[in-house]
Formats: sequence, structure tokens, C-alpha cells
Amino acid sequence: MDHAPARPSRPDLDDLTRSLHTPLERIGVEHADLIEAVRRRVVTNAAVPSGSVAVAAFNSSI
Amino acid sequence: MGGSCRRISQFVLKVHSRCDLSCDHCYVYQHADQTWRGRPVRMSAATAQSAARRIAEHAREHELPVVHVVLHGGEPLLLGAAGLRELLAELRAAITPWTRLDLRMQTNGVLLDEELCRLFVEYDVQVGVSFDGDRAANDRHRVFAHGGSSHDHVRRALALLRRPEFRASYAGILCTIDVRNDPDRVYEALLAESPPRVDLLLPHATWDHPPLRPGSEPTPYATWLGRLHRRWVDDGRPVSIRMFEALRPGGGGTEAFGLAPADVLVIEADGSWEQVDSLKTAYHGAADTGFDVFDNSVDEAARHPGVAIRQDGADGLCATCRACPVVDRCGGGLYAHRWRTGSGFDNPSVYCPDLLRLIDTVDAYPPPTPPAPADRSATSPVDELLDDLATGHGSASTLALLAATQLSITRALLAACRDRSGTTAAWELLVHLDRAAPEAVRAVLEHPFVRAGLVHRLDSSAPPGLSAAVDPLPAIATAAALRAGVPATLHVPVRADAITLPTLGSLVLPGLTESAEVTVRPGELQVRGGSVEQTVLLDPLAPPSASWRPTRDVAVPGGRVLLEDGDPYRDCYGQPVESRLEGPAARALGRTLAAAWEVVHRDVPAHAAALDGGLRAVVPLAPDPARPLRSATARHAFGAVAVTPHPDPETMAVLLVHEWQHAKLGAVLDLYDLVEPGESTRIRVPWRPDPRPPEGVLQGVYAHLAVTQVWQSRAATDPGDASAHAAHFLGWTRDGVDALLASRSLSAAGERFVGQLRHALEETVVGSR
Ligand code: SF4
Ligand code: SF4
Repeated sequence: MDHAPARPSRPDLDDLTRSLHTPLERIGVEHADLIEAVRRRVVTNAAVPSGSVAVAAFNSSI
Repeated sequence: MGGSCRRISQFVLKVHSRCDLSCDHCYVYQHADQTWRGRPVRMSAATAQSAARRIAEHAREHELPVVHVVLHGGEPLLLGAAGLRELLAELRAAITPWTRLDLRMQTNGVLLDEELCRLFVEYDVQVGVSFDGDRAANDRHRVFAHGGSSHDHVRRALALLRRPEFRASYAGILCTIDVRNDPDRVYEALLAESPPRVDLLLPHATWDHPPLRPGSEPTPYATWLGRLHRRWVDDGRPVSIRMFEALRPGGGGTEAFGLAPADVLVIEADGSWEQVDSLKTAYHGAADTGFDVFDNSVDEAARHPGVAIRQDGADGLCATCRACPVVDRCGGGLYAHRWRTGSGFDNPSVYCPDLLRLIDTVDAYPPPTPPAPADRSATSPVDELLDDLATGHGSASTLALLAATQLSITRALLAACRDRSGTTAAWELLVHLDRAAPEAVRAVLEHPFVRAGLVHRLDSSAPPGLSAAVDPLPAIATAAALRAGVPATLHVPVRADAITLPTLGSLVLPGLTESAEVTVRPGELQVRGGSVEQTVLLDPLAPPSASWRPTRDVAVPGGRVLLEDGDPYRDCYGQPVESRLEGPAARALGRTLAAAWEVVHRDVPAHAAALDGGLRAVVPLAPDPARPLRSATARHAFGAVAVTPHPDPETMAVLLVHEWQHAKLGAVLDLYDLVEPGESTRIRVPWRPDPRPPEGVLQGVYAHLAVTQVWQSRAATDPGDASAHAAHFLGWTRDGVDALLASRSLSAAGERFVGQLRHALEETVVGSR
């Protein structure tokens, strides 16, 4: 079986602005890749490097 | 001789060592390594348990933020639904207490059915399917042992994963290319399956067994992939194709390209630790480490010299690659492709000429457009956005762009929730309102705490079934219906006797059960649930209702800002938030905020414009006599800042400016890596005794720069304390910026950004003389 390691990508500026013009019901179909990137970047924070600050309060982490 | 401890974050579990297909390019069965013949067929429960414990132990000891576990084979689906459920439950139970577990599976899809899809959605497993394109392409290699086609089977599996209820588990397609296939047809066949992502793989080959090169062309792989790349670019990059993204400058690479450390270990069905699988293509036993999960920890396996050298970036490459101008993008290609009997892995990839030419092709298409005559600079929108923010504040249009990306992220999260829960009445109402009254939906989705609720719902770090977060969609849809004046009825979850409608207020009704039926009518809400049945009049002229607590707002120069003291998701600042303010306290805070906003306009008009463009809500923090002056911003709540209700507008103005810098930079960090991923450097800063991570320093200098500008402006009229404050913050900012630049921890975009900040700082210094 083939293997490709998991690597997060980040949401793309163009995709983000384009998807604002997509009706809500079609976002899932037309922007599946964007949703996936947002899920990774925002929900799971998988893309955040180990040296980054916690998602919560910046003031306690600067 | 142990060497330093390696952190491994990706684990491949060979859960079943046989396959129902018989692909002739498969390295598990068809290549040099034949160790599979001596392995047990399936991973036993005891092996799975030890494996899960080893991974958990490693995650705990190294405090890993995430581990990726890929279920693999052979064919993992041969384990069956019951076997897979047992395995997934074991992994979740052992690992999730210590870190976030990202579960994946790579399958040929033949056995995929609805029951399995439901299981994968339940355990949040991302499923990648191997599929080589159109029927002719796929069946060139991917066939059953009797020679029959697998094309229809795999397409059926992909159709299942596309279904809305299973889409959340659809990771994408893995396609092994063959230059004898028609690249256009392969491209179209892949696109037709609407995968979230496509991975293209070069066929496994070594210098001992070079790749097929039919005809006289020296670099057929570059030609073939170049053709696909051109189609993809021409079509507006309709799907993420990781190979092309990885090969772009700064693209970051995959295991097959780029120098990112290969922090992968494999666990075989019998529990032995091995190196990456594709090494099997090289020689018999190539991937062995001699360790197993029963007797050896991850750290021990990771110290194996073969694993260790692969983590050394450019230093682990041969001399040719080290001197290669594109080594940062190619990384010497896939490790296994470097093998040659005699010199081992100390060679460039057997695909080297193709890789070199492919990188040229990717760079050359689309051709760079000459700058338009009126446009003197050829900066990309990304650079423009960052450059504008690096002035220290950011223009109104930059703020509008950042706010738009934040709204778009919230909409994507909403769609992700829908992927997860399927179509509900709340979703259908939102879809309807999005068409009929888009402004109402937008106003609710722009509320800073909607994202926090959606993220909470989607975050799967909790084991399935346990502590399931409430579905935020019904409250969002009800709020939008109310704003739009559209009658609707939904069941809305209740939290602590309350239902909060974002931007509008909270219904507080003791006696409600888990959810209540809420009906929106013009000017009123009707609530029914548990022992409660009540109509709440929302007419501002009606007598105030004890059960409806409207969200109060304040007129400020930028419009109106909400005093958010009711939304449950406002509790995201890592410190206690204040509960609902009494009327006089709320009015006092409102007056302070309005006056502080005026002060920002007076002191730093450029910052005030950015504040006007995006600050929508202020959250009161709970008072703490030991630390009366506190403020905070949260990454998931763009558009809001939290403050202790300090009465002095001059002080409050500084807090607002400071926090708003964090909010802007936080929104930027959703889009770009300004710090090099994986960077673990710690930097000494003047404002704290302990060394800080680069991102913290970046946030610090950005906020301190703005505060410097506030005090400098004040110093112009008040030469007393203000100049001293200005000098103090200027020193902090300058030292922070220099330390950041010296740390070499920033990405290219980050270097540029901080370099520009340094420039803004020099202007600030000149301005202060
Ligand atoms: S489906 Fe995967 S494991 Fe099975 S024979 Fe084909 S490549 Fe090998
Ligand atoms: S394999 Fe070839 S293209 Fe890649 S880094 Fe080595 S020399 Fe450069």
C-alpha cells in the first residue's frame, strides 16, 4: 500500500475571499479543500509549530 | 551511544498484512523485501495495545501537540468493522489523554461500505483512497489477483465518501502515476471524484531498478507531471495537489520532496518497529530496526541510525544534493529512490533529472506577469497585506480584507459542522436565510464568539461520545432569523438554564431541560421546554422581561460595540470573565469605552481607523485585586478584546490599541506562517524574565510598537511621564525586533514582516526627536 505522510496546509487567501461569494449550501462541495485546510489550521491547530503560543489569551503568552 | 532524543509525530500501523488487490507496482508484495511472508496476517489486540501505549508514552514525554497515526496494510479494511472499532477505541483511549490524535487510513477502498464510513466519521478517521485515474490508467496496475478491474469498486468507495454524511472522513486520493497513461484523462478522472486533496506519487524505483522511461525522452516524468500542472494552473487550481504545492518555493515539502525531517516510524503487524515503508523497494529487510513495541520505546527505535540520518535535513544528503540549487524544495527526493547497491542511500534520487526539470516547469508556469504600468511594485496581495500591517497599524482596506478572511473561516467551520452532523433543521434555516437575508446571517457569523463555539464543537481531541460539545447551529440560525424578521421554529440546546442568541442576548429560564423549542415571530420569541412555556416580547418599548437579557451596546466613533457579558463562548481568554454586569456598571464601562475610543482617535488616528474597521465586542474580565489592570485577546475571537473595567479612558485607550494589535496579527497567523514551522527556539525578551517562543515575541513587539506610538503622540503635548513611557516601550520593541531577527526562527514572510517593522520603528524614532 502506498503511503503519503500527513501534512497540514493552510487556508489560501484567494480561496477564502472567493468562498465568501459561494452560497452556504454549496461551500461544502465547491470548497472542500478550503474546509479541510481551515479544519486543520483552525480547529486542530495541527499546523501551528511547536514554538508557537497558546491559542488563548495572547497577553499571557507574549 | 544513544544520540539525542528524536521526536516522532507520525506512526504508520500495518494493521493487516494481506491485500485483496494484487497491484503489480505494490512495494509490499512485489518488491525486494519479502518480510511480509513471515508476518502474522493481522495485528493482534495485544500488539495494538502495546503500540498505542508506546505512542502515548512518547507523546507524553515529549509533550507533542499532535500525533498522526495512519492505519495501513496490506489492506486495513480486511480487519473488518469490529476489528477496526476495537483498534480505534484502543488508540483513542490510550493517546487522547496526552495529545491530539489525528487518525488516518490509507485504503484501496474495495471493501468500504456505509457501516465502515459511519465508524470512520464516529472516530474522526481521515480516509485516503488509492486510485490511479481513468479506467485504463487505474487498471494498468490496480487489479485483483484474477486480473479483474478494481475501477468500479474504487469509484463506488469514493462516491460513498463524497456523501454529505461521510464527507468529513474523505481525506483525498493517492495516485501513483505511470507515464504511459494519458495525463489529461488521469487529471479529469481525479477531479471528477471531488477529492479534498490529491497526492501524486512517482512509481517506486531505485538506481538498481530505474524507473520505466519508454521512448527516447530523458525526463518523461517531468513532462507528464508538467502537463498535469499546466492543466491544474489553467483551471485555477481547483483542488489541492500536494506535490505541486510542496514544490513551490517555501512550499514546505512532503516526505517525497523537501527537507522537512521525516519523523515517521512504522509498526508492523507483529509489533516490530520499522522505518518508512517505501524502503522495502530497496532491499530485503531494508526497513528493519530490530526493535519492537513490546520491548522498545519510540525513543529507542528513533535512535536507529537509519531513522536518525533522515532527520538531519540537508546534512543527511549526498554531496550532489547538498550542492544542488533546488535542494530546499527537492530534498533529494524520496529516500527509497536514492538506493544503489554499494553506495546505499548516499546518492541523489534516481528521478533527479526529472525532479530538476519539474521544479523549473512549476516555476515557469504561469509565466510571471509583467507589472502593469501604473503599478510600480510587483508585490503579491500577500506581501501587500503584510507590508501594510508592518507599518504598525494597517489601513482600513487591509482591515476589511482581514475581517473578510475571518468571516470566510467561520463559514468554512459552519460547513465543517454540517459535514459532521449532516443536514439539520438549523442548517436548512441558515441556508435559506443566507439566500433570503444574507446580511442577517453575516451579522451573526461576524460575532467574535461564533467561531469559538464552532471550534469547540469540531474539536475532536475529546474521545467520541464523551463531553460532546453542544451544537451551536440552532442558536446561530435562530439569531439570524430574529435579525431577519423571518418566522422559524427550532430546537435549541440549553446551557446552564440559558439559551444565548449570538449578538442579541440570552434567554434565562430556570426549569428548561437539555433543549427547548424556540419560535421566532415578529417582535417576540416563544420558548417551550421542560416546565417552561413562555413568550418573551423583544419590543424595546415593552416592559423589560426578567428572562430576556439583551446584549448591550455602546455608540463609539467606529459605530456600535457590544458589551459582551452573556455569550458562554466568551470564556476563551485563559482567565475568568465577569458575569453579567449590573446596569450602572455596564453604563460606566460603556462611557469609558466611548471616551477611550475618542482618545485613540486623538492620539493615533491610524490605529483608530483599524480599530473602527474591526472591533465589535468588548468582554469584561473578572476583577482581581492583585492585578487590577488586565486585558487579553483570543485567536478564536477576532473582533473582540477582553479588559478589566478600568474607569480611566486614557488607560483604556492604551489597552485597546495594544490588544487590537494582537487581534490583527492573530488573523494574519491564521493565514501565514511567520515563524518557521517546528521552530522550538526560545528568545530572551526585556518584558519578561523567561525566554519566549518566537510567535510570542512577534506578538509582543507588534503590540509594543503601537503602544510606543501612543506615548510618543502624548509626549508631544505632555513632556512629563509620556516621553519616559515612550522611550521604555521603544526600547522593548527594538530589543524584541533585534532578538527576533537574530534568532533565525522566522519564515521568509516573517523575516520580511519583521524587517519592515524595524523600518517602521526607525521612523518612529525619527518622529520622536
Ligand atoms: S491495494 Fe495497496 S497493498 Fe494492496 S496490492 Fe495494491 S498497492 Fe499493494
Ligand atoms: S535529487 Fe537531484 S534535484 Fe533533487 S536535490 Fe538532489 S541533486 Fe537536486
